[in-house]
Amino acid sequence: MTMKKFLNDPSDLVGELLSGFALAHADKVKLTENNLVVRAEPKAKNKVALVTLGGSGHEPALSGYVGQGMLDISVPGEIFAAPGPPKLIEALRMANRPAGVLLIVLNHAGDVMSANMAMEMAEQEGLNVRQILTHEDISTGPRDKPEERRGLVGCLAVIKVAGAAAEQGASLDKCWEIADRMERNMATLAVAVTSAAHPCTGEAISEIPETDMIIGMGQHGESGSAQTELKTADETAEIMLNMLIVDLSVKKGDDILLMINGVGSTTLMEQYVVLNSCKKILDSKKINMVRCTAGEFLTVQEMGGFQMFMARMDSELAELWDAPCKCPCMAT
Amino acid sequence: MLLGAVELIRENHRKLSELDSFGGDGDHGTTMLRAMENLKNSVASSESGQIKKLLGEVAWAVMGADGGATGPLFGSFFMGMSNGAGQGETLDCAALASMFEAGLDCVSKRTKAQVGDKTIMDAMIPAVNEIRQAADEGLDIPAILERAADAARQGADSTKNLQPRLGRAKNAGQQSLGHEDPGAVSVSLIFKGFMKGALNDGG
Repeated sequence: MTMKKFLNDPSDLVGELLSGFALAHADKVKLTENNLVVRAEPKAKNKVALVTLGGSGHEPALSGYVGQGMLDISVPGEIFAAPGPPKLIEALRMANRPAGVLLIVLNHAGDVMSANMAMEMAEQEGLNVRQILTHEDISTGPRDKPEERRGLVGCLAVIKVAGAAAEQGASLDKCWEIADRMERNMATLAVAVTSAAHPCTGEAISEIPETDMIIGMGQHGESGSAQTELKTADETAEIMLNMLIVDLSVKKGDDILLMINGVGSTTLMEQYVVLNSCKKILDSKKINMVRCTAGEFLTVQEMGGFQMFMARMDSELAELWDAPCKCPCMAT
Repeated sequence: MLLGAVELIRENHRKLSELDSFGGDGDHGTTMLRAMENLKNSVASSESGQIKKLLGEVAWAVMGADGGATGPLFGSFFMGMSNGAGQGETLDCAALASMFEAGLDCVSKRTKAQVGDKTIMDAMIPAVNEIRQAADEGLDIPAILERAADAARQGADSTKNLQPRLGRAKNAGQQSLGHEDPGAVSVSLIFKGFMKGALNDGG
């Protein structure tokens, strides 16, 4: 299959996409000289700053969540590849303040390595940084082996609640505690139906048979755990919900947040249909879907499929989820 | 010595990307190319003749390629070599071996991978071990690096029949069977480049 994307020289791709992103959202974000994405209007220095890092090609993640009530700095890498330690330590120095910095890291090898190296440097330099790792993909490892679980769209929930707490003036320890509570109570499962082309090479990043779907495929096309023929929205929702419910030990009467994250070419129409299926199934199980949303939050180019995210909510997390935010790609 | 590696990666980057497509997302060659271009630029702009300082600058430049795990891993190799290098502008054989061992130590801090996990370590560990042994045997630097390049090549070849156990490739399972690990091949190209570079500039 020939790649059909509107691009220029692939080696300029990340710079061009970031420039365009900053133009489109100039009221909320701007680019630094070294292509860090920062808020157009910086947060007050007496509040905790939030920093994250991640590869590009997943728009609107992660830079789309820079703004009031969310991130302070996003450190973008190359396509599907984490930024290196030099850019991250620059961001941490820029964000550093007495109130402290919360660094949110998605569990992927490159992101973790860069973060660990930057954290060691930050410590040597006396920067006030605490790190939280998101790893909620239930298809890559059991709950008691979090290091094997990848970070998927759940980072968004962590950014949302910790960002809201920071905006309200919570301490670094409190922001970390909120982020950690969200992280421990969330789970994501992905399903893929079609592959995507790597924008720099034009090659498909995974192989998915024409009529099948793969439950558990990662956001770089990493193989999943279960391949079956394509099922209906109801059937797919049932399978995925059940796996998430088991993983999180969700019980009758629990309050949950559910998020359907379209990863590229699965339409918003389908996402709504799936969300509706989820609501029916959860109702029948007497599980309270107290918050929900659907949309493209973290994509994989034109890959077809979605990530289903579930989190057990308490009243504090729900309040922080509802708190106002003003960033390019999310509104509550 | 360093620039020999740049040339070999440039010549082979398409093959590296192709190898990566069997277990990764097919961009290892372009990532290595970016890292090596950064390396070349940092060597060109370095004002110091001191090996330690030059390698430190190279390490930072390689990590600045923003290439996922590749930047920190290869950057750590050069960072460790910088830490292990003496203050001078030239190297003897024993110092060369210590320098490479320090490079390997620094990479080991970043990854749990051992020989057999189908990673860069399958080439890097035997290459560095061979450097020590050849240095102890009293060979000269080009000969030492030739032994290292051979060991790295054999290590990279051995990854063909392995299944990945770590990193992103782990989740690709069987797909990469029959193909070498692209990171290990990169390591072998870098050592071969060191050898060629050492022959050209005499060390």
